[in-house]
Amino acid sequence: MGEFKVHRVRFFDYMPSAIRAMAFHDPTEQLALARADGAVEIFNFSDNYFQEKVIPGRDGRAIEALCWAGRRLFSAGLNGEVTEYDLETLRPRYSLEAYGGPVWTLSCNRQGTLLAVGCEDGTVKVFDVLPEKIQFQKNLDRQKGRIMSLSWHPDGTRIAAGTMDMVRIFDAETGGATRRLLVERGPGAARSREVVVWSVVFLSDGTVVSGDSAGKVQVWDSATGTLVQTHPVSKWDVLALAASRDESSLLAGSSEGLVVQFQLLAPAAGRQERQWVRTRTFRNHSHDVRALVHSDTAVVSGGMDTQLVVRPLLDKVEKNTQESAMRKIMFPHRSLVRCVKKAGLLLFQFSDHLELWRLGDSDALGKPGERLPVKRKPEKLLQLKRKGEDHICCSSLSPCGSWLVYSTVSSVRLYRLQRDTHNMSLHKVSRLPRELRCVQQLCFSSDSSRLFASSSQSSVVVVALNQQEVKHLHTLRPKAGSSQPVHLLSPSEDGKWLATASTDGQIHVYDLHKLKVRLHCTLPVHSSCPTAIAIHPTTCCLISAHADQQVFEFSLLQKEYTAWSRALQKQGLHPAWLHRDTPVTHITFNPGNAAHVLMHDAFMFCIIDQSLPLPAAQTKLLNQMTLKSLPAADRLRQSHAFKICKNFQHLLCVDLLDERSLVVVERPLLDIQSQLPAPVRQKKFAT
Amino acid sequence: MVKKQRGKTDSSPKNMDREEHAAHFNDSSDEEAPDEVTFEDSKAQALRSMARAIETVRREKELLKEKRRKRQELFQEQKKRKLLPADVLEEIDSSPSKKHKASGSEAEEKQQEAGEETEQRRKKKKRKSPHSRNLKGSYTVTTTKAQTTSFQQQAAADFIQSRLYGPGSCRTTNNEMLSLQNKKAPNKTAAVQFVKKDWACKQKAKAEKEKKRWIHKQKLATC
Repeated sequence: MGEFKVHRVRFFDYMPSAIRAMAFHDPTEQLALARADGAVEIFNFSDNYFQEKVIPGRDGRAIEALCWAGRRLFSAGLNGEVTEYDLETLRPRYSLEAYGGPVWTLSCNRQGTLLAVGCEDGTVKVFDVLPEKIQFQKNLDRQKGRIMSLSWHPDGTRIAAGTMDMVRIFDAETGGATRRLLVERGPGAARSREVVVWSVVFLSDGTVVSGDSAGKVQVWDSATGTLVQTHPVSKWDVLALAASRDESSLLAGSSEGLVVQFQLLAPAAGRQERQWVRTRTFRNHSHDVRALVHSDTAVVSGGMDTQLVVRPLLDKVEKNTQESAMRKIMFPHRSLVRCVKKAGLLLFQFSDHLELWRLGDSDALGKPGERLPVKRKPEKLLQLKRKGEDHICCSSLSPCGSWLVYSTVSSVRLYRLQRDTHNMSLHKVSRLPRELRCVQQLCFSSDSSRLFASSSQSSVVVVALNQQEVKHLHTLRPKAGSSQPVHLLSPSEDGKWLATASTDGQIHVYDLHKLKVRLHCTLPVHSSCPTAIAIHPTTCCLISAHADQQVFEFSLLQKEYTAWSRALQKQGLHPAWLHRDTPVTHITFNPGNAAHVLMHDAFMFCIIDQSLPLPAAQTKLLNQMTLKSLPAADRLRQSHAFKICKNFQHLLCVDLLDERSLVVVERPLLDIQSQLPAPVRQKKFAT
Repeated sequence: MVKKQRGKTDSSPKNMDREEHAAHFNDSSDEEAPDEVTFEDSKAQALRSMARAIETVRREKELLKEKRRKRQELFQEQKKRKLLPADVLEEIDSSPSKKHKASGSEAEEKQQEAGEETEQRRKKKKRKSPHSRNLKGSYTVTTTKAQTTSFQQQAAADFIQSRLYGPGSCRTTNNEMLSLQNKKAPNKTAAVQFVKKDWACKQKAKAEKEKKRWIHKQKLATC
């Protein structure tokens, strides 16, 4: 594996935003997730929980609710607008003012034809979902307090609305309020305070379940308007409720980070009537649980501690398999760090600014595992605040270190950086070509003379850069009309090739040296989405890593999978490799040794040595320590291609600066946790 | 001719007015007798109007006073502003080398940021925002940017903040939670964070210096 001088970077203060709302689309197993900064993310649960799409947020778009209507995604927030998203161009399609003040909740009926919106002024507004837009249909009877939660009866005739101190049942046709369920206030001093019904669920047998700020989960009969059961769950608030599709199980998430499961069971054997019984408690969060989803096999929860937790229910999945393992998704599945190798620069992307750092330096030598004294400290060269209200969606730094580009949903900004020993200046390039408007991914060519930008309809815009002007050269389009966005761009070192990957799994390679730039080849589509692609500088092979942890190598000259890749597929990857739970987000190559490929995920980085034999399924994958203890002759026999290092954890980026030095960007979870909003005060025994 | 015309134009509306008044007067006299106004009433009215006049004069005086005071303040502030650079200059003159050395990178950054700012300002001067329009004289009409967070949105955010984190919500701090976790964990480690980041600045700086010296010594020793 070799020895490296490692720059261990811990000054990237990346802070994810709290999870505010979630919605699950059952047919495609896609989870839409909204964060407090207004960003919307799409996770594909059928593709190993891969984060397929990210729609960047915007200042003031405080999303409070998300919902799917068929394949369309809607959100509503405190800015009083209902927004539909375009999942192909990754931007809001339109926003419609609801004219009821801030919107707290949004719910779609099961048929996907009507959208109910609960507003601050106490109205429930019903919108028709039309093919191109939504249209206001009617108001239901106005209530006194704000509408905090809504739920449709599965047959679409009634709506339950949680407000201050009560739950109301509406007739969806006439708009009249038919029932009024009074929710009891909390005990003691809380009696003078209104109780907020944070969440309601309407089940098909007419049962209404409510979760409120007094910490109760209550079961009501909507036909008679009577209280059936009360379950005190928490001393604080019950913030979220979710029911499974077959309505046999119910989840409640509370302020202290608990998720409690209730199941509809017969209280004693042989009895007919069934009631809701509290069965399980999951403690996966340190802070408030704000959003819950009950999928067919798992409990999906998210909250103020910014982590998405998928906890499979052990009675629904097979035990001791990969699918029964709990997943915690804490980092985005794409790279927020750009590394410029020659100049030793790092570009960090935040949602509202960019930071440019120069790495520190040390000229001392030491033994492996030792810390070297730092001669020059890492230095923050630049902090660039974004312009406008839209958050940054992608950014890039050219390999020569003199161009900086970032894009938001509405615009692209290109800057020219000039650095000398003491000074640094930044000039905005004023006139950009018209084609650089709606951009999802940005990347520079290795000689910094071209800028590639992925645009709508999976096309790629090529722009020539020089000191005088910025000129649009051409737009690359794949042959077949694919509409999914391109999320990965990778130019080759010699500037001949450009590889693009889109979220539907297609990888295209363009030949840039031909007089007429054209599509060189399209790779066979793998069932799983690519998470990182890179072109080898000398052998011209494209290496792709996928969300299901498969790795392929495709020769661009022969237009076929290489022998190594075939051998790897034939033998199969090691089970320990396949069971990792974060995707590979970056692939790079060792300039000193053409057989070395470096890739990393959040918990390890791995150097794949293509000249060594592949590991057999029975051998140990992580064998660095055993190899160390063996004599030299045995060592050669035992070593295999996958050399994995887990010394560094919670990685956001690993890159090779040169043959002998490595930069590792870590973000310890403890640092994130210490900056979160306040948790509730819990009494722990003996403290 | 011109005079005549002007005279005519001047006179005609007056005449009309007078006629109108007359007509009006006639109308009222036709219908009813003039109202009886008692002496007390008219006296009170006169007093009231006098009081009003006095009041307005007083108010005007006050306004004038206020205006003068504001101007005075503005002048004083401007004077202060003018004075400030001199102080800075003096300071710079007195210790130029020390300051330069002390804040190498920071100064650089600031300078650079300032450069950006001035650049932007220049741009603003050159080209006004596309939503503004020049009128006659020194007035311009611009469309103000819509407020990003409306009052209602702010109120709603405050509501949720007060419900979750306000009084009676029994919250603790992250630091406390982490230290409790640490306390209950099988192997205890150092505290996650100190309350004050700028704790013992001097000592830290001194330690840094000592460390550098030590590294240098080590190097010399190995050479």
